[in-house]
Amino acid sequence: MAIAREAEPLGSLHEVREAGLDRDDLLGVYRNMLITRGVEERGHILYRQGKIPGSFYTGRGNEAAAVGVATAMSSEDVGTPLHRDMGVHITRGVEPWRIFANYMGRVDGPARGRDGNVHMADQQLGMIAMVSHLPAMLPVAVGCALAFRIREEPRVAVGWFGEGASARGDAHESMTLAGTRRLPMVFICDNNQFAYSTPTQYEYATEHVADRAQAYGFEGVVVDGTDVLAVYREAKRAIDKARAGGGPTLVECLTLRMEGHAVHDDAFYVPKQMFEKWAESDPIERFRTWLRDNAELTDDEEDDIAASVKKLLISALERADESPQPDPATLLDGVYATPEDLDTPHHK
Amino acid sequence: MAELTYLQAISDGLRTEMRRDKRVFLIGEDVGVYGGAFKVSQGFQEEFGPWRVIDAPLAETAIVGGATGAAIMGLRPVAEMQFADFISCAWDHLVTIAAKQRWRAGTPVPIVVRLPSGGGFSGGPFHSQNPESSFAHIPGLKCVCPATPEDAKGLLISAIEDPNPVLYFEHKHLYRRIKGEVPEERYTTPIGKARIHQEGSDISVITWGAMVYTAEEAAQQLDADGVSVEIVDLRTVMPWDKAAVLESARKTSKVLVLHEDTRTGGFGAEIAATIAEEAFEDLDAPVKRIAAPDTPVPFSPVLEKAFIPQVDDVVAGLRELAAY
Amino acid sequence: MATETAVDVVMPQMGVSVSEGTITRWLKQEGEQIEADEPLLEISTDKVDTEVPSPASGTVTQILVQEGETVAVGTKLGQIGGAAGAPAPATEPEPEAPAEEAAPEPVAATEEAPAPAAPAAPAPVASGNGKAFVSPVVARIASEHGVDPGHVPGTGQGGRVTKKDILAFVESGGAQAASSAPAPAAAPAEAAAAPPKPAPVAAGETLAGESLEPITAMRRGIAEHMRRSLDTAAHVTSAIEVDFSRIVAARGKLKKEYESAYGVNPTYLSFIAKATVEVLRDYPYVNAEMRGDSIVTRNFVNLGIAVELAEGKGLIVPVIRNAEGLNLLGLARGIVEIANKARNKQLVPDDVQGGTFTITNPGGYGTFHGTPVISQPQSAILGTYALVKRAWVVEDELGQDVIAIRPMMNITLTYDHRLVDGAYAGRFLRDLRERLEGWEGDGG
Repeated sequence: MAIAREAEPLGSLHEVREAGLDRDDLLGVYRNMLITRGVEERGHILYRQGKIPGSFYTGRGNEAAAVGVATAMSSEDVGTPLHRDMGVHITRGVEPWRIFANYMGRVDGPARGRDGNVHMADQQLGMIAMVSHLPAMLPVAVGCALAFRIREEPRVAVGWFGEGASARGDAHESMTLAGTRRLPMVFICDNNQFAYSTPTQYEYATEHVADRAQAYGFEGVVVDGTDVLAVYREAKRAIDKARAGGGPTLVECLTLRMEGHAVHDDAFYVPKQMFEKWAESDPIERFRTWLRDNAELTDDEEDDIAASVKKLLISALERADESPQPDPATLLDGVYATPEDLDTPHHK
Repeated sequence: MAELTYLQAISDGLRTEMRRDKRVFLIGEDVGVYGGAFKVSQGFQEEFGPWRVIDAPLAETAIVGGATGAAIMGLRPVAEMQFADFISCAWDHLVTIAAKQRWRAGTPVPIVVRLPSGGGFSGGPFHSQNPESSFAHIPGLKCVCPATPEDAKGLLISAIEDPNPVLYFEHKHLYRRIKGEVPEERYTTPIGKARIHQEGSDISVITWGAMVYTAEEAAQQLDADGVSVEIVDLRTVMPWDKAAVLESARKTSKVLVLHEDTRTGGFGAEIAATIAEEAFEDLDAPVKRIAAPDTPVPFSPVLEKAFIPQVDDVVAGLRELAAY
Repeated sequence: MATETAVDVVMPQMGVSVSEGTITRWLKQEGEQIEADEPLLEISTDKVDTEVPSPASGTVTQILVQEGETVAVGTKLGQIGGAAGAPAPATEPEPEAPAEEAAPEPVAATEEAPAPAAPAAPAPVASGNGKAFVSPVVARIASEHGVDPGHVPGTGQGGRVTKKDILAFVESGGAQAASSAPAPAAAPAEAAAAPPKPAPVAAGETLAGESLEPITAMRRGIAEHMRRSLDTAAHVTSAIEVDFSRIVAARGKLKKEYESAYGVNPTYLSFIAKATVEVLRDYPYVNAEMRGDSIVTRNFVNLGIAVELAEGKGLIVPVIRNAEGLNLLGLARGIVEIANKARNKQLVPDDVQGGTFTITNPGGYGTFHGTPVISQPQSAILGTYALVKRAWVVEDELGQDVIAIRPMMNITLTYDHRLVDGAYAGRFLRDLRERLEGWEGDGG
C-alpha cells in the first residue's frame, strides 16, 4: 500500500515554463544528457581497451534523473552525487576531460589519481566526493544542511542514495536528524530496481522507498526517473520547499539500471522483458521526442547539438590522455590538512 | 590563573572557543538541555542557543557524519560521543570519510570528536574503554589524550583549530579527581608534542592519560629506592612525539611503556617497536610494556583492579627494570 | 586515428578481482586493417565475456596470444601499426635441476615475554664477565672507548655489566688499565688504526661514465647456472680438427631436396648432431650423469641445442627428445623448430628439461675454438666452430703429401673429468671425426 505521492508528467512547454525552464534551458538539458551518456559510453570503450584501471561503474538509464535534479539546484546548493549520477557533475559544470582523466587515474582528474571512477567531486562546484560505503554520504549531506540552518543561509543540500543503500542505518539516522530538525535537505533515491543482483523486494518491504519519508516526518514522492521534466519539477518543488524552511523531502526516481552493476557484470539476473520494456523509455530518446513534439526541435538543431557534443568528447579525450600519471613521490602528501587548506571562502 | 578540575578546564576551553568563533558549535546526545552526561556543557545552551548546542538524536553516524558535512561547509563542529565506547557506532564514518577526505579528495575535515574514555569506576565493558590505538592506526586522524587540566584546555583549543579530524580522549576518571593551575586566557597546547611530567635519569616511563598519575605515584616509591624515574606524558598519541621519546630512551637506556588500553596492538606496541628499531644501541634492557590484559573491561571492582594497571604493578615493573 | 607508431593491444581488467582473461576469438588476423573502437577480439573472464575494441586505426601487425590462451591482465595481446613480428623477449628458462638453495639460517628466536606477568629476565652466566650478556648500549660504549666489557666489574643481574658500570669504568680511567693488558685480538681500536682499504663502488652507485641496468631474471638464472656448473664439474676440454669436405658435398646435394620437399634447411649443425648421436651410443659416459653415489647412463639421447636469443638477451637450451631415433631430416627439422619456438617465446617447461647431452655452436661469429660450460647435470658439451677454408696437408693418389684447400672445423668436447677421462674423450672425438669425414648420402 503506497503512501508516497506519485508525480505527474509534464505536458507542455507552457507547463515547463511555469516550472522555471525556457526553451534554451531545455536544449541545455538535452545537451547535458547527451554529454553524460557520451562520457560514459566512451568510458566503457576506454575500459575495454585497458586504459582505465580498477573497476568501472556508470549510470545508463539514469541520465534524466541525474540531470533533472541537478538542473533544479541553484549554484549555491551543494550535493553528494553517486556513481549513477554523472549527469549531476556534467550539469554542474565539471569538464569532460577532467572526468576522463579521473577515470584513467591521471593527475588532472579531480581525485588526482588517488581515487577512481566517479569518486571525485569539484568542491568549487558544490559537490562532495563519494565513498564506496553507501549511503555514507547522506549524513554528510545532512551535515551541510545543518550548517545552512545554523547560519540561516538560503542554501539546500541534496543527498543521493540507491534503493539498496536505503537498507542501511546511515539512511535512517540521516532522515531522523534531517526530519526532527527540519533541515534544508532533499533526499534523492535513485531506484534503479537492482542493487547489484538484488532486486527491490529484498531491500525494502514497503511499496516505495519514498513511503518511508512519512516515518521521518516529511513528504515522499515517486517520479518516473526516465522523464527529465517530471524529475526536474519534483526536484524543484522539494528544493524550493527546503529553501523556504519547509524541511526535507524524499524524491524517489524510478528507472531501470540498463547495464550490469559494473563493467564486469552482465546482469543475467535481470529478466529480458524488463530490459526490453525500459529500453522503450530511454530517457534521452524520450526527451528528444518530447522536444520535437512540444518545442519544435528541428533537424538542424538536433544535428548541431549532436555534433558539438561529439566534438567536445573527442577533444576531451585527447586532452585527458595528455594528463600525466601521478608521481609516486607525492604519495605521502596531504594525509593531514594544513591551515592553508582552510583558506577558502566558506571557511571564514 | 585559576585552579580548575580537569573537567572544568575542558568546559573552559570549549566555552572560550565558542565565544570567540561563531563557527564552533557542539552536537551530541544530551549536551543541550541536560548540559551533557558529565556536565561539561552545563549552561552552554543558555548562553549560545539551541542551534549552537544541539541535542542530537541517538544516532552516532549522523552526529559524526553530520559534523563532517558541516565542517566541509565551513563550520567548526565539536561532536560529543556520550562515552568513547560509542565511537564504534561512527567508526565507519570516521575511517571511511573523515580520515580520508583530505588525502583522497583534497577536502579538509576540521572536526573534533570528544570522547569520554577510560575506566576505574566499574563502568563495565561499554563505558570504560580506551580506543585510541585503533584510530591512531588510520592515516588522516589525530588522537590526543590530555592528562592535566592545563593540557586539557590547551589541547581542546588546538583540536578545534586543527584542520584535521581530531579525536579528543578525555579521561573520565580524571574529570573531578585532578585539579591544576589553568591560565585564564586563550592558549593552545601543541598537538604532537610530548611533555616531561617529571625528569629522571635511570628509567623512562612513556605514558598518557590517567596512567601519568599512576606512574607518578609509582615513581615516588622508586625514588625511595634511589632510582630516578623520568615520566614522558605523550599528550598526543597520533602523531606522537617520537623525538622526545627517543631522546628520553637514549638518556636513561631503560624504558617502560605504560597505557591503560589492552596490551596486544595497543599503541605501546608501536612505541616499543620504534624504540627497538631506532634506539637499539642505546638500550641497556629490553623495552617493557605494562598495559591491561587482553580482555574486555570488567565490571566488578575486584576484577577491574586486576585489569587496570595499578601503582603496584608499575612499581614492580620499574624495580625489575632498575635491577636488570 | 591511423597510426604509424605501434599501439599495444592489452588484456583489460574486467573487474577489480579479475587477474586474467582468455582469448576466445580474434575478429581480425595479422595484416588486416581495423578502425579505432572497432571490435578486435573477444575475451572471457570468470566474471563476464566481452569484446575488446581496437585502441587505434591501422593494420593489425602482431597477434601474440592465440585463441584459447589465458594470460594475465595487462599482457600485450597484439599490436596495431608499427613493425610486424618483432621478436618478443624470451621466456625465462626453467632451471634444469632444482636449484640447491642453502637452507636459510633459522631466524634467531626473539625472547617472547609471557603474556601478562612480568617476563623473566634472561639470566646471564654468573661467573666471568667475559661470558656474560652485553647489552647494546654497553657494547656501543665499549667499542667507542676501546674497552673490553669483560674487564669491567658488573653490578647488573647475574653480574652483567650495566651502562652505569661501563660509564663509571670509563670515567675512572679504567680504559687505560684495559689497554695496557695484552691487546685482545678483536680490539676495535686497532682495526680502526689500520689503513682504510679502497672501498669498492657500492651497489647502485656509478662513477662518471658508468650506467646501470637491472639484472633480468634470465641473466640471474644464467649466472647461477654457470657458476654452479663450474663449481660442480671438473671441466676439461679436448679439441679435434675435422675435414668437412664430404659433408659439404653431401649438403650441397641434399639442401635443395630438403628445402623444396620439406621446407627444411639441413644446416651443418644437423649433420654434426646426427653423427654425435650415433657416436654417443659407444660412449655412454659422455651422455651420463652423476647422481648421488651412482653414474647414470642411458639408451636414449635428449639432445640440447643452445640457442642464442635476440638482442643479447641471453641463451636457452631447448631439447630434442629421443634424438637417437631421428634421421638427418628429423634432426634438421627438430633443430629449426626448437630454435623458432625459443625465439618466439613459445617454449614450454618440458622443452627445456631432461637434456642428456648438449651441442653449442658459438662458431657462428667466426671463432675457431672455445671452452663451453657444461649444462648441469650432464657430463659433457660439444662445441662447434667456424667452418674455415684452410690449407691442409693431404695425401694424393700416389700417397705423397700435397696441400689442398679443405673446409676445416675445430670441434671441442668439454667433459666432466670426474666421470670422463681424457683418453675416453679423445676416443669419442676420434670416432666423431671418422663419422663426419666418412659421411655418405644422408648419413644412413
